[in-house]
This record gives sequence, C-alpha cells and structure tokens, in this order.
Amino acid sequence: MSRKILVTTIVLCTVLVLAMMPVFSACAAPKAKPGQVLKVGMMNPATGPAAEKGRPMMDGNTDGIKYINAELGGAGGYQVEVTLLDTNYDTAKVVTIVKKFMDDGCLLFTTASSKEMSAAMTSANNEGFPGISCFSSPSLYRPSKHIYGQTPDYGDDALAFANFYKAKIWKGQGKPKFALHLLNNPTGYGARDAFKAKADELGIEVVSIDEHAATTTSEMESLTRIKAKNPDVLYISSTPAPTAIIIKNANELKLYPGITIGCGHAGLTKALVDLAGASAVEGVWGAFPMVMWGEDVPGMAKMTEYCQKLHPADYGNMDYITSWAQSLIVAEILKLAVKNAGYDVLAKGDAAAWQAVETLGIQKLKNYNVAGLQGPVSYTAGDNRLTKFNRIYQIKGGKIGSPSDWVEAPLVKYEEYPWFGK
Amino acid sequence: MDLPCGTRNFDYARDMAVLRTKTHWALFLVLLAIVFTMPLYLGKYWLGVSNLIGITIIAALGLNLLVGYCGQLSVGHAGFIAVGAYTTAVLAGKMGVPFLLALLCSGVMAGLVGLIFGLPSVRVKGFYLAITTIAAQFIIIWIVNHWSAVTGGFVGISVPPASIGGLVFKSEASQFYLIMVMTALCILFAKNLARGRVGRAFVAVRDNDLAAQVMGINLMYYKLLAFFVGCFLAGIAGSLFATWVGFMNAENFTLADSILYIGMVIIGGIGTTLGPILGVVLIRLLQQGIIFVSPFLEGAFSTLPAGFTTGIGPMVFGLVIILFLILEPRGLAHRWILFKAAYRLWPFSY
Repeated sequence: MSRKILVTTIVLCTVLVLAMMPVFSACAAPKAKPGQVLKVGMMNPATGPAAEKGRPMMDGNTDGIKYINAELGGAGGYQVEVTLLDTNYDTAKVVTIVKKFMDDGCLLFTTASSKEMSAAMTSANNEGFPGISCFSSPSLYRPSKHIYGQTPDYGDDALAFANFYKAKIWKGQGKPKFALHLLNNPTGYGARDAFKAKADELGIEVVSIDEHAATTTSEMESLTRIKAKNPDVLYISSTPAPTAIIIKNANELKLYPGITIGCGHAGLTKALVDLAGASAVEGVWGAFPMVMWGEDVPGMAKMTEYCQKLHPADYGNMDYITSWAQSLIVAEILKLAVKNAGYDVLAKGDAAAWQAVETLGIQKLKNYNVAGLQGPVSYTAGDNRLTKFNRIYQIKGGKIGSPSDWVEAPLVKYEEYPWFGK
Repeated sequence: MDLPCGTRNFDYARDMAVLRTKTHWALFLVLLAIVFTMPLYLGKYWLGVSNLIGITIIAALGLNLLVGYCGQLSVGHAGFIAVGAYTTAVLAGKMGVPFLLALLCSGVMAGLVGLIFGLPSVRVKGFYLAITTIAAQFIIIWIVNHWSAVTGGFVGISVPPASIGGLVFKSEASQFYLIMVMTALCILFAKNLARGRVGRAFVAVRDNDLAAQVMGINLMYYKLLAFFVGCFLAGIAGSLFATWVGFMNAENFTLADSILYIGMVIIGGIGTTLGPILGVVLIRLLQQGIIFVSPFLEGAFSTLPAGFTTGIGPMVFGLVIILFLILEPRGLAHRWILFKAAYRLWPFSY
C-alpha cells in the first residue's frame, strides 16, 4: 500500500513539475536568441594628455564587460556588446563619437572624464541619449537632464574633505584657513563652486584661490603667495601630474609638512605617488569614491583575477576599479531596463529605447551595491549623482590607505546660486 | 586650366568660367547630388564627421589664402577660429542677435583681430612672422580663459543652434545642409579671389615681395588684406563650429590645432583651392580611423605593454607630413592633376 502511495506521489510530483515548467521558465531570465545583444558605447582618453588615467580606465571597462558576459550571463540574459573608442582627450572627436554611439543603436554611453562629458552632453541632451560619466562636476547635471554621474562630483570631494578635516584633524580655534589650488577646468571649478557655496556653512575660511594648467611644470610662485597667507589646509583639485608638482613644490618651500594637504579624487591615484615620490606625499589626504585594492568586499576577488590575467600592469591603480564598477553599473541598468521595458523596446536602439533605459533602468536604480566596490548606487529625483558616498584616504609609506567610513555628500543645488555657471 | 584635346573657348567669359565643359557640369551636378543626398543614407556619426570636415575646409581655405597664396606664415589659426566661435556664442547666445548677422560679425571680428596680429607682417616675414602669430594663439586663448564673465572662462559656454527665419538647424542633417552650403560658398569665394586681381597680387607678394613692390603692388595693403580674408574665413568656420558643437571652451582651439591646419594645407597642396579640401578630408578621416585602430591594436597585441598606442595619432600625422614632403611636396592637389592628365590621355599617355 505504502509503495502504491509512493509511486502515486512521485507520478503526481513529476506531472506537477512538468506542468509548472513553462511558469518557471517564464520567471527565469529571458533566453536571448543568437544576435540579440544590448549595445553600449564607452569612450576613454586611452591616448593623449590624460592617458595615465584613461588607459587603465579603458582596461577596467573592457575587463568588466568581459566578466559580465562570461560569468554573469550578460545583463538580463543578453550579452552586452560594447563599442569602445579612444577620444584622445580631444573634444572634437568626442562630439563625433557620441553620434556614432547613437547611430550604432547603443542604449547609453559612458565617458571617463568630465571634460569628455562636457563635449558630449549637448548632443546627448538634445537627443535624450543617456550618458554616465565616471568622474563628474556639477556643471554636467545642474540642472539635471540626461547625463548622470557615477561618483560624487569634485564639489562633493571638497565638501567631504572639509567636513572630515573639521571633525577629525582640526584642533585649533576659530575657522580653519583653506587655500585652494585648482586645475583650470571643471575638475578644479567643481571644488571652487562647492567652497563658494558652503564655506560659511561649514565654518571655514578660504584665504586664497589659485589656478594651474594641466601642463604646469612649477607652482613655486603661487605657493609662495599661499605660504604668506599662513593656511591650515592646502586643498588641490586636479589630475595626478599637476598635483604631484604642487606637492613637491610645497615640500621644497617647507610649506609641507606643517599644514594639511587634501586632494580631490581626480588626483588621488597610484600615479600621484609614483610621480611625486613616496616621501613627498607622505601624510597627504584625499577623497576617493572607491574601495582600495585588496579590501574585503564581494567584488574584489573577481576584479583582481581579471586584472591580473588581462592587464596586470593596472593592478593597484584605483582608476581601474572605477571603470570596472562603471561596467557593473551599466549592466545593472540594462538588466533593470530589460526587466521593466522588455528586450523588444531596447532592441531598436532609438529614442524610445533611450527613454526606456533612462526611466526604467537608470531611474529605477535603488541601493545597488556594485559588489561593494563603491558606495551604493541609487537614483534620487532631481539629483543625477548616482552615488553620493565618498571616503577619505591618507597616503602612508607610499600606499594609499587608512580609509574613513563612507561619507554621504549632501545635494547642493548650485543652479540656485546666481553666480553658478557665470 | 588644362582642357581636353579639341576643346576650345570662344570668348573671355567662357575662358574664365570655373566649369567649362559639359563633362565638368555633369561631374559637378553628380557631386552636388551625392553631397546633398548624404543625409538620406548616412547616420548621425558620418554626418557629424562631414560637418566637421566642412567646417575645417572653410578654416583651411582661409589659411591657404594667407599662407599658400600670400606667403604669410600663420601659426595662430585656431586662435582666430576661437574669435569667431566666441563672437557667435556671445552675440547669438547671450544677446539674441540673429544667426546670420552673428555669422557675419564673427567673420569680421576674426578678420579685425587678424589685422592686428598681421601688422608685424609689414616688417617681418618667415619664422619671425610665425612667432608673432603664435603670440596671437596664446593671447586670444588667455583672454578666452580669463574673461569668464563673457566667455564662460575655463568652464565653457553654451551656444544655441543656428536658426534662420524660424528654421532651427538643430538636427545633424539640418546642420549638414547649412554647413555644406556655407562651405560651397566659401570655396567659390576663395577660388574667385585666388584667380582674380587680388589673388595674383598675393602670389606676387609671396614669390618676391620686392619685385611685387617695384611693380606697384602695395605690400602693406595686400599683406593685411590676406590676414583679414584668411581670418574672416577662420571666423566663419568658428561660428559654424560653435553652433554645431553647442558647448565649447578654449580647449577646442589649441596650438596643436593650429599646427594641424598647416599640416592639412601642406598635405593637400599649398597655394591651390583644391589642396586644402583634399588635405582636410584626408586628415579628418585619418583621425577618425585612429579612433577605431587604437583600441583594436591594444587588444590585438595584448602582450605588448598596455598603452603602447599612446601617441599613434600624432605619429601618423607626422609620418603623413614627412612622406608628403618627400614624395609629393606639391600635395594631393598635384597628384590629382597628374591623375586627370593621365586619365585624359589614357591609353596613349606618351
């Protein structure tokens, strides 16, 4: 009798499983037919004057997409096909490249730098073609349109560092005195605008603002002026090469050590230590929105494996992490868009597909953890910064380390200040 | 112009015509048909590249009038283009001046600035003049970067799309038509200027200014006129560039761009109207090619150190200039003339 019950149960279960299979398969990720892919455009300054950042970033993008396709099965069940182009850090090329992405039916595009996105955003905003910039400045999305920032902007760096300084480093009385040394482009001006908007609220005094070019070879003259103003902090928002020159000059003038030096995330990379020398940058602080190499986060092992296998020279470079994380975010956006809009809408790669990716992909991001490589990614209406979290690092013994906790950067509505963009 | 065997002109007007045979007319109409139907079969990318080529042709035509015809070396052409671009940005973007008026003002403004920096040409020439025009590049860009209340400074400035009588040239295809019409008009202007009295005076100044003066040519007038006309065209190119790109800052107008323009004119064939056109097309297409080749090479030769393609663009550009200077110093235009001659005589090319 019990055997009969057992057989009946097995048969019933088998029939039930067979009957439910279409339901199960409908719930699983859609099966892509041959040739069905999701296209993405990615541009990086892999050659030209910003190649020290752009080349590892292109590698990070490439390797990240390889990992997504090979090990995660693509995005939402569809392979991600990338059109990856080198901008040479040339704005005229960027303007044509973004149009190529549109022609190729890409669903969104990415840039490495704020300069590239500045050149691409007019065409992209006109057409409603969504773009994500790894590094960004407030001018890209204040007011917000179709351009998004992967990381907190250069203004957020400045405010995060200023807050950290006041809470953890400053021991004096009254207002700490900040001297700013800024790259003469959106990288520097993002920080300038942040101090301009929030210095009083933060309780700091900006005693001088100096600018430098990306090609600067000496800042002795400007630093001599700064030294005369007796600042407590020298804040530098620039790329690694000029930052290294400024810090070396500050050492030569005996301005540093003796004051605190803080950097924005564009300058805080391994290249800064290599260019300036470990002893010159010992104790320098900086904001950076990514984890360090070797940290115990879920995505570190795979990223390290791919980096060491495909681009071992990039190991230790934090820009690689940023663009690897960018690839993961792109895949998450596509996954959400497939789920919410369906592949057929996206397959056209037209204005309707771009709108679907933006409204049903990017704007549906909610606490995506990016495998722990950066702060959680969420969209908040009116705020096109996808991540609002930064960490403050310090260089010790030639290594960038000692990270702080994640610091959330509040939204600053720059467009409400009459001087913004003027 | 060489004419096919058996073709004769019976009056002066026909002898001076740009298009003189039925074949010329047929080829010209075919060219027009091809160019003006391009938006039907090209995507935004290739239309964008075509727009960039058209704008660059206008700028290169101006430089060619100055350097190729009049022999006045200018290494600050990108600076003069910037003057035109920012004039349009300010007039059309901030003051609401109609686009066509802004376009004209851009040309005139760039021409006037060119006149100022062309004044030393009355006294100096050759390398010395080159240095004074480099100064123009640096001074103009410095002003653009630091007069931020007007120019937007380092951050940049937004420029509204061109519009004429309610017709807004916002899409890539509509911009293409605007730019191609302007390019065609500028080519016609440059061609006519070069083969007229002014052009002959330019050539006389270029070949031997002392002899030209002895013959009664006013050196100061013609040298300054060359600067004005060359920079006027640069200003027109800048104005179109500004409305095409929509957002710009000084990084769009670098010294490297100024040198690139000279390279384009040399490669195409200095002192001919066709030369700059061919030079611009070749260099701009090469630049686009490099965008694709660079990542491909990095991927194909992954055993080589990462970043080995850095600088491939300048290397290719330098190599092309060297090869042209050695193998075809008269540029692509001369090669085109040789090809046409060989084609006409084929198969009896003795």
